[in-house]
Amino acid sequence: MNQEQMTGSQILLETLIAEGVDTIFGYPGGSIMPVYDKLYDYQDQLRHILVRHEQGAIHAAQGYARTKGFPGTVIVTSGPGATNVLTGVADAMVDSTPVVVIAGQVSSALLGTDAFQETDLIGMTNPITKSSYQIRKTEDIAWAVSRAYFIASTGRPGPVVLDFTKDAQVGKAAFKYEKCNFIRSYISKPVVDESKIDEAVKMLDASTRPFVVYGQGILQSGAEKELTDLLEKGDIPAGSTLLGLSALPSDNPHFKGMLGMHGSIASNVLSQQADLILAVGMRFDDRVTGKLDTYCKNAKVIHIDIDPSELGKNVPVDLGIVADAKDALSRIVAKMARKERKAWLNSDQHCNEVEMQKVIIPETQGTADTINPGEVVATVAEVCGQDAIILTDVGQNQMLGARYSRFKRSRSFISSGGLGTMGFGIPATIGAKVAALDRKVCLFVGDGGFQMTSQELGTIMQEQLGVKLVLLNNNWLGNVRQWQELFFKERYSATRMINPDFEKIAQAYGIGRVLVEKREDLRPAVERMFADDKPFILDVHITEANMVFPMVPPGKAVSEIMLNSTEWYK
Amino acid sequence: MEKEKHYIITTYTENQVGLLSTVAGLFTRRSINIDALRVFPSGIPGVHKFVVKTTTSEAKARAIVLNLEKKVDVIKSFCYVDNEDFNKELKEVADYIQERENNNN
Repeated sequence: MNQEQMTGSQILLETLIAEGVDTIFGYPGGSIMPVYDKLYDYQDQLRHILVRHEQGAIHAAQGYARTKGFPGTVIVTSGPGATNVLTGVADAMVDSTPVVVIAGQVSSALLGTDAFQETDLIGMTNPITKSSYQIRKTEDIAWAVSRAYFIASTGRPGPVVLDFTKDAQVGKAAFKYEKCNFIRSYISKPVVDESKIDEAVKMLDASTRPFVVYGQGILQSGAEKELTDLLEKGDIPAGSTLLGLSALPSDNPHFKGMLGMHGSIASNVLSQQADLILAVGMRFDDRVTGKLDTYCKNAKVIHIDIDPSELGKNVPVDLGIVADAKDALSRIVAKMARKERKAWLNSDQHCNEVEMQKVIIPETQGTADTINPGEVVATVAEVCGQDAIILTDVGQNQMLGARYSRFKRSRSFISSGGLGTMGFGIPATIGAKVAALDRKVCLFVGDGGFQMTSQELGTIMQEQLGVKLVLLNNNWLGNVRQWQELFFKERYSATRMINPDFEKIAQAYGIGRVLVEKREDLRPAVERMFADDKPFILDVHITEANMVFPMVPPGKAVSEIMLNSTEWYK
Repeated sequence: MEKEKHYIITTYTENQVGLLSTVAGLFTRRSINIDALRVFPSGIPGVHKFVVKTTTSEAKARAIVLNLEKKVDVIKSFCYVDNEDFNKELKEVADYIQERENNNN
């Protein structure tokens, strides 16, 4: 073991490299300068992406983590640097994204004195992190950093914050690195109770109308194959949460679409008709269940999740299994009976016909003068061969991006689900592209969300990242506008936007941009966008009053579905 | 609404600075009052024990326990319905005081 004395900053960087980190998203400042100084010597081993605002760093790290399945790394300074990452930390917590945030802190002697750029970061991040820890001693750095990556990436993944005092950065100690893989108070991988697997198999075999609802847990445990095997062996239909999308290819015959408020009619109706719900790696969010006391009342519920506190939290379960999704599914697949349930599997034809006629065709094959956002999403899916990594911001662009994108490969859809953070899109796209340079990476973003983090166009310019930003521009905060039209008597309070000249913005950053206003220009423009691997903004002026359907209105059962402003699904 | 009862929630943790606010925060977020709190070394070297008395529903009490155990530095958490005798005892004392005051002797 290397017993050479190193500064705390060097120990930090050596530990990051030992943990497998290759990229850091960050922004320098007073309390983290010793680390940045040492980073100068490590430029060939650690790629540092200089963002334009710390919020950009954390969202980029999230996009990176979700593309790569490896924790994203953020380095920022104390005080405002640290508080600027809080939104992304909260987002990563609720969406179970592994990120490690290393924030500078004033010297330990100054803690609690209101020193320049001092904030109580541990106090602020406690409720929104999986773990937060203040490093005050140089000797603790290697241990604390390795522990942070272990916590962030195992179990139910999540954000870890390290508050790193300046005296620990400049102090000297021997570099003693030992990879953390055990913490006695923390279970990184639960032991599966085999008797519960047997019970699940029994319930599954006895069921005539089983329905699988799955979430991001499938992606995070790498259980795509096990899920596919289970559905095939039992002729079982399945619906995905927003974050579970791309775990199954879009053309898998068992895949019935997204669940919930703007999900497919089939997924929502099947979940109400099922006699057994098998939920895997998802958490029954209110956007998925609709009115809770009407949700899947005809079904027994088996819930598999790695987090024990999720079982029975929202939906009462008949059988709860604490397990890694891959582990549990592979055991169930091995024991379950091969069963034919073709009639049930294909019982969604009426749902699909209605959705096609009343929603999909009007949205994606528009005939009016203006372009519908759904047409844009569908065109992108077609042109990029259904094989791009698709990101969305939050709002209508997100729901349409989720509904009309098509996927062949896993880990190809990234969006801010639980927190619904507008402004997530542009920086997350940066992170996704950095993690997958060989893939097409495309964002759908509204004019509202675009302007929340458009400063990151500077990062895109500096790094020359070939990201494709599709701006669905209607001069409105579209999702809020939709709710105002439907539920607030058309009182459009503070949702109209006067927008800047996006042409000039793109020009200022040296980013290519094409404006599309006519339908016939759309496809050529999308083809032009994907013709090279350079950054590009596709500014599409879309139908102003466009609304996202189908819609399960808030407070309704998921089988009560609006097809448009006047018609309901029957 | 579910019936509220007294619960005693005990939690064994690593000796980590700041855990008190973590434990308290889990109650605060769910609008559950902490009626009484004690923190002391558990008897196992390096392990601290929190004892919280609270008034809430069983579902919420169980949720608190699961969320406490979710914290990385929490080792184990347990939940007990408060001893019925405890309440009887309290009522007895209250009645006794009332009686004393009424008789005023």
